[in-house]
Amino acid sequence: MKPFALGWGKAVRLALLVGALLALYVLAVARHDERARIREQPVTLTPGCEEKLARYGLAAGSGYASPYTLARSGQARVKRGYSAEDVRAIQRGCNIIDDLQGQLAADPSRERWNSTRFVRGTHTSCDHCHQGIGDKQTAAGVAQTGSLSLAASWVMADMYDQFTGILLPYELRQMQCYINSSNGYKPNVADDLIRDVTAYSRFLAAALDLRFGNHYAEQGIDEVTAASTLKRGDDYVRGAALYKEKCARCHGPQGLGTVVDGKALYPAVAGPNAFNQQSRNNFSFVSTILPGFLCRNMPLGEEGTLTNQDCRDIGFYVSNMPRPAGDKDGPLAALWHQLMMRVMPTLIHTIETWQRPEVTQESGT
Amino acid sequence: MDSAPDAAFAAGRERRRVARQARFVVVLRGALSAAAIVGFALWAHFGSGRPVFSPHSKPEAGWEAFREAYGVDTFGRDGYFVRAVQNGYNLVHHTHRYAWRFTRKGALDHPNACIDCHSAEALAYAFASGDRFDARLGRRVSFEEHVKRCYATHLDGFVPTIYDPAVRDIRIFARMVAHHMQLGEGAEVGTP
Repeated sequence: MKPFALGWGKAVRLALLVGALLALYVLAVARHDERARIREQPVTLTPGCEEKLARYGLAAGSGYASPYTLARSGQARVKRGYSAEDVRAIQRGCNIIDDLQGQLAADPSRERWNSTRFVRGTHTSCDHCHQGIGDKQTAAGVAQTGSLSLAASWVMADMYDQFTGILLPYELRQMQCYINSSNGYKPNVADDLIRDVTAYSRFLAAALDLRFGNHYAEQGIDEVTAASTLKRGDDYVRGAALYKEKCARCHGPQGLGTVVDGKALYPAVAGPNAFNQQSRNNFSFVSTILPGFLCRNMPLGEEGTLTNQDCRDIGFYVSNMPRPAGDKDGPLAALWHQLMMRVMPTLIHTIETWQRPEVTQESGT
Repeated sequence: MDSAPDAAFAAGRERRRVARQARFVVVLRGALSAAAIVGFALWAHFGSGRPVFSPHSKPEAGWEAFREAYGVDTFGRDGYFVRAVQNGYNLVHHTHRYAWRFTRKGALDHPNACIDCHSAEALAYAFASGDRFDARLGRRVSFEEHVKRCYATHLDGFVPTIYDPAVRDIRIFARMVAHHMQLGEGAEVGTP
């Protein structure tokens, strides 16, 4: 009887193991099928994407001629057309750039794939940095210098990147955005989340008729170096004053952003929802990018009013606010930054209200 | 009674000799290991001539002419990108030698290199209008995946990962040729 019982025990354990593996397999197949169904479903565009893709004449067909290029050069350059599947991928990519976390979507987890798995916090959206849904233009329809254009980045991808020390493909660059700018995790290179954004970026390059390997003024950021200032030195205190005057009304006195009805109206520039220490936006890591972004794009509605030195001062100040540790900072640094993010806002609020009771309303989040 | 100190002295001397010998063996082993590592590194860098140990690609026949004709120097005389283009050139023209891990084709087979089926221009056009839906496969197929499929099928070999230089440098080679031809995204054969 004993050997028989032992045999049953083993068989049950084996059956449980096989059953668990089978369940995982069935789950994976179900997820795979669901993804295939989502790819075939019509895409509900965000209002911004609807306007942009209509302006660039995205439609399925054997050939594609960009109305933008036609209007500017008078020549209709016919390029390879897009199938209905390609059009849906481009539409989904546009939606991801405009509304990464699906705040405008009825069913975010389906319409934006699994984007929230790869970002921490609730504020991040690609459009915060890649403004104009990755294609910021002036009122005259001219691509804006140093506007982080996705199309210009695509045609100049694969170049050497000094921060990673590799020839950086477009897909890996997107992964870095998820890891650092979104303070999150790395999606797989073949994930729809990455591939749809690549499809959209490639479509933008076709619509704007950009050529491979050429440098365009809208690529990257219009960086502000110390050499472009009077070299009075980047001043934290001056930055704090400017921040309070120019930025705090939207991003909050402590940079924690403005959320209305669960939607990030103005994103956090500090705290757990902000970019992390290893992001290229972080002034302490790369001192030219955030000032460049500020000078080009901020304050909203008053772009171009800040001097180069103002932008560097604000960048310096913002980067000294508590924010998450970067992916290379290690667990102790991460713990320290978590502590700072939780303690500092309350501490600053308490001290400021104690010293100057009249500023109670100003020093919240 | 007198022989005891002598024996202890002799035993002590013997212990010291053994300890010295053991130390010598340890030091000798360490020195030999270090010398072997340094020797291997020196040989790999200066004497082996093997491309795997060199940051430079081997200049194959036709590379200088290609470099001139396609204006590779617009990206600099040297650099990571140019080296990748050169490795891409070697991969495309001598696939069986530079991507031997991913093909069973040998020197006597035909075709045994990408260039036997695709010209440099054709690769550039494929890159420029790639990443589209393939009705036969029922999904979007990237340029890199086409390269991987070529290794597995036409070159009768194995599938590299998407990050492998055997894939990446062919993409970079195609990108450089596309730049030389001033192709735009979605360009079809014969059009810019």
